Amino acid sequence: TDRSAVCVRRESDSFAQAQLNLTKNLCCKGIYDADTIFALSSGHGMCGVAVVRVSGPASALVLQSMAGLSRGLPPPRTAVLRNVTDPRSQELLDRGLVLWFPGPRSFTGEDSAEFHLHGGAAVITGVLQALGSVPGVRPAEAGEFTRRAFHAGKLDLTEVEGLGDLIHAETEAQRRQALRQMEGELSRLYQGWSQRLTRSLAHMEAFIDFSEDELIEEGVLNEVDLSVLQLQREIEGHLQDGRRAERLRSGVQAVIAGATNAGKSSFLNLLCQRPAAIVSPTAGTTRDVVETSLNIGGFPVVLSDTAGLRDTGDSVEMEGVRRAKERVQLADVTLVVVDSTQLPQNYQSVQNFLTDHLRSILPNGDDLTASLQRCLLVLNKRDLLSRRTVDGLQKSISQAEGLPLASLLSCQTGDGLDDFLDVFQDRMRTLCGDPLVGSVSLTQARHRCHLQQCVRALSQYHRYRDVDLALAAEGLRLALTSVGRITGKVGAEQILDIIFRDFCIGK
Amino acid sequence: MLLRRSKLLLSPSSRAAGHLVCRYFDVIVVGGGHAGTEAAAAAARVGAETLLITQKIKTIGVLSCNPSLGGVGKGHLVREVDALDGLCGRAGDWAGIHFSILNRSKGPAVWGPRAQLDRDRYREFIQSELLSTPRLTVLEGAVEGLLVSEPNPDQPGQIKVTGVRIAGGAQPINAKSVILTTGTFLSGALFMGQTVSQGGRMGDPPSCSGLSHTLRETLGLKIGRLRTGTPPRIVKDTVQLSLTKVCPGDKQPTPFSFLNKETRCKPEEQLPCYLTHTTPGVERVVKEGLHLNAHIQQDTKGPRYCPSIESRVLRFPGREQQVWLEPEGVASDLLYPQGLSMTLPPELQLRLIREIPALKQAEIRTPGYGVQYDFVCPTQLSPSLQVKKAQGLFLAGQINGTTGYEEAAAQGLWAGVSAARAALSLPLLALSRTQSYIGVLIDDLIVQGVTEPYRMFTSRAEFRIVLRSDNADLRLSTRGFEEMGCVSMQRYKEAVRMTDGLRDAMAALESISMSCTKWMEKLGQIHLSKTKSAKLNGLELLEYKDVTFEMLASAFPGCLSAYLEFSKRLKIEGLYRPHYMMQEQEMERVRKDENLSLPQDVDYLTLPISLSMEAREVLDRAKPHTLGAATRLPGITPSAIVHLLNYVRKTDKEREQERVHI
Repeated sequence: TDRSAVCVRRESDSFAQAQLNLTKNLCCKGIYDADTIFALSSGHGMCGVAVVRVSGPASALVLQSMAGLSRGLPPPRTAVLRNVTDPRSQELLDRGLVLWFPGPRSFTGEDSAEFHLHGGAAVITGVLQALGSVPGVRPAEAGEFTRRAFHAGKLDLTEVEGLGDLIHAETEAQRRQALRQMEGELSRLYQGWSQRLTRSLAHMEAFIDFSEDELIEEGVLNEVDLSVLQLQREIEGHLQDGRRAERLRSGVQAVIAGATNAGKSSFLNLLCQRPAAIVSPTAGTTRDVVETSLNIGGFPVVLSDTAGLRDTGDSVEMEGVRRAKERVQLADVTLVVVDSTQLPQNYQSVQNFLTDHLRSILPNGDDLTASLQRCLLVLNKRDLLSRRTVDGLQKSISQAEGLPLASLLSCQTGDGLDDFLDVFQDRMRTLCGDPLVGSVSLTQARHRCHLQQCVRALSQYHRYRDVDLALAAEGLRLALTSVGRITGKVGAEQILDIIFRDFCIGK
Repeated sequence: MLLRRSKLLLSPSSRAAGHLVCRYFDVIVVGGGHAGTEAAAAAARVGAETLLITQKIKTIGVLSCNPSLGGVGKGHLVREVDALDGLCGRAGDWAGIHFSILNRSKGPAVWGPRAQLDRDRYREFIQSELLSTPRLTVLEGAVEGLLVSEPNPDQPGQIKVTGVRIAGGAQPINAKSVILTTGTFLSGALFMGQTVSQGGRMGDPPSCSGLSHTLRETLGLKIGRLRTGTPPRIVKDTVQLSLTKVCPGDKQPTPFSFLNKETRCKPEEQLPCYLTHTTPGVERVVKEGLHLNAHIQQDTKGPRYCPSIESRVLRFPGREQQVWLEPEGVASDLLYPQGLSMTLPPELQLRLIREIPALKQAEIRTPGYGVQYDFVCPTQLSPSLQVKKAQGLFLAGQINGTTGYEEAAAQGLWAGVSAARAALSLPLLALSRTQSYIGVLIDDLIVQGVTEPYRMFTSRAEFRIVLRSDNADLRLSTRGFEEMGCVSMQRYKEAVRMTDGLRDAMAALESISMSCTKWMEKLGQIHLSKTKSAKLNGLELLEYKDVTFEMLASAFPGCLSAYLEFSKRLKIEGLYRPHYMMQEQEMERVRKDENLSLPQDVDYLTLPISLSMEAREVLDRAKPHTLGAATRLPGITPSAIVHLLNYVRKTDKEREQERVHI
């Protein structure tokens, strides 16, 4: 109940959002092809457990199709552990707690469901995308849960002054990106689209309402056709930008992998400067994934320690190994920790040794090259090597080709850590794109979703253009609303509102 | 089909002011134009003893300007007024001499039913209807002022209107509600060339100066000024029609009224309209006469949508402008040149029209002129069209800053329903913008106000796919009977029959489900562009352009032929079905916000909550009735809404607790 109390508070904080949307919805009608909504209700990326909330009539359907509950829903308000799968492909997305809250005894007063998942970007994205594919289910507007709760008489509006709490730019880079987004390119880009759409829609409406009294020429619609086509192309292009900014928003997923007893957990503890993981000289100490959030040079990182990879007869450890491999597959960066005392003495063979070693750890197949590119090598236990060996090793790895960047360090003494952090930070910067330098990119899955809706709505325009102009215009209106969901009506005094919207999505 | 009960006009003299037996009415309506006639008829239908006061009984129902009704957006209003049992739709069917659906190629949601009218027939119909309406008395006279008294302390408002004073020393007449529909007569001024005279319409006595004073001084209402104009009327025989493009009416006229299966005018009896264009000579005359054109030189806001020829050529120089020559009636020898509204001196008007080839020898019967008039800023009205400050006073029509017969009729009807309900101590209702164009019109007026004469467009309605002219009866008639009390049993029964029939027909269509291949086999000629593997039901199939209900009915006669009378409407329902469902949900959300009502007695300027000064001023001016209306106010930020809502919720709770303690 503590947790739900916290959620209630958060939700009411984000009430301004609800009202912002309310305003917009009344001004320009929205896309509501279904009435069941979902959102990530927990904070983004930085937490071990992510809570995804679903509310609306299709909640039961969601549980049935995604949590393997087709034979029957769990008892109300009781957590059950289930495999969460993609209803389209049946692919396993995560294993987590699932709760069923039949209305009216739920936060929103409607049928609701919650998924408590592992808090990694890949898992969350996977689940959100899967949810979006269930018929009649769509992402929630910011604050929409609150709205529904409010209308169901479930919410006691108390203080709304605490809105500032929602701004949780935990790290500098996020803050920079938020600022830039607010003032700069992304906003301009969306505003530009919104203005062009507004113009097209206005032309269209003028043609509908006026052309018979003359004043409007037939050519107007051809211009609209062109403009819409152009816009559609631009937005589609923008949607294919590699999602760099989304990654920043949720935190980079870094996974520590390697053989047993290479010192992975020590490395994790070193990086987060606290004993987050249990370390012992016994091989196979870490059996499950241990996750922690870090700030590496201003970039948010979700760091996972995994079980050492080895063949084992222990069923618990086997599951740990399986999960470790899975994590590696989904990671943005894999930090492969190697016990450097195990390296061959002959420096010439180091490269071959490491290459083979990486093959055994990283996912096989066509992906190997890509996996190698996502990888950083951490050669641990430097303190156990002689000075001469260290020098020789450093020389040989710096000359090695086709190997990931490698750092020689000691988790015991901390030697070499700074060098590693430089390398790691460089990698972060590449992965996230420097928010102040790189090209404009998407920051949130929600933006993506609205832009996709926009593109779909624009294709409705083309579909009905020659059949029914009222429906074609409706397509433009929907498209404009979708973009408007991102930009809002931006005036100088509304910058605050935009921050709120950007920071409390899905609440 | 019988269009009108045959009735003798009652003698106006029997209702002269001096002979008025009763001096107490439920509702008094001032003005006999489109707003006034609908208001009086609606109030009487609701059950109120109603008095209509007009300067001249014989000008009741006069079409002061264009001889036409309906059009894009406006046609929706006519249909909705008809669905609530108003007059103008049936009058249009009776008087129409040329029917067409505008926007025919653009989709049924934006079709604009329109008709050219015979002025005499229209007036006759309206007069006959009014003079035979039970509970309605018509009185000839000029209203000089309003009777006011202390307000009822249980209701918002600073003053109470209790009746009217008639010119000529007659005794005042009392009423529980008064509706003003004075059109352009409120401090009206007529402009022609450099001549300015008092009045609201050429040929009628000036009026309402006392009324204007009452509104301004006694009630302290904010008054604005607008202008409009009308073109010269041209003698038909002097026009070279061979030089124009002849535009006939639709082959099969579509009636406005849901009660009518056909129009009085037979398809082949329709009169054509004629299309011609201006020339550079027209522009020259306008520019030469500019210094003689007092109306154009004034900076009062005129309509952008129905501009005078002067403003058109000044704004778009060097362009050919369309001019429609419209018939004025079966027996009329005049043509109405739509697009040639002008206020030049008469001799220049003649020169101007003769610059158009087809009008080279044309004669003018009556010259065009401009009108400037006062209007009451409509943000001072509540959703029932009652003046917020003044209990019992309702306004409708041009006095609220609108232009057009249809806009006036729509407001008149609603003011009539509201005034009657208030007089009969029934709760006042609001028409939602999710339910009708009338609701959109009223919401726009009272929330946004007007800066130029307000005209209806389809783009003003955000739920355009749902609010169509073809389904106005389904949207309004049953509600009009059950909740508002302004719809007759006959119409109610027809609306219920239609609602049930369409529902059953759609269920029958949905029950037939087959693959595309099967459908094509069954129906033959049709082409289903999408080779979907999924099955389609009959209703979904109607989305396809080439598929008609008749085709489906002949393929499945047993199941569907009973519904053939609905085939046109079913086609439209099928076409919009998926979009309809989408808008329905969004409409539900809007309705919920409209249900959160804000108290009317709040002093926003001193309210102890965190609001910007700008927001306070906006809220203070507008005093929105619902949270939904507040969100549509310009300058109201989301955070203002949150604070407002927060405050309202708290007060609600406190009030509830008080009640418990009592």
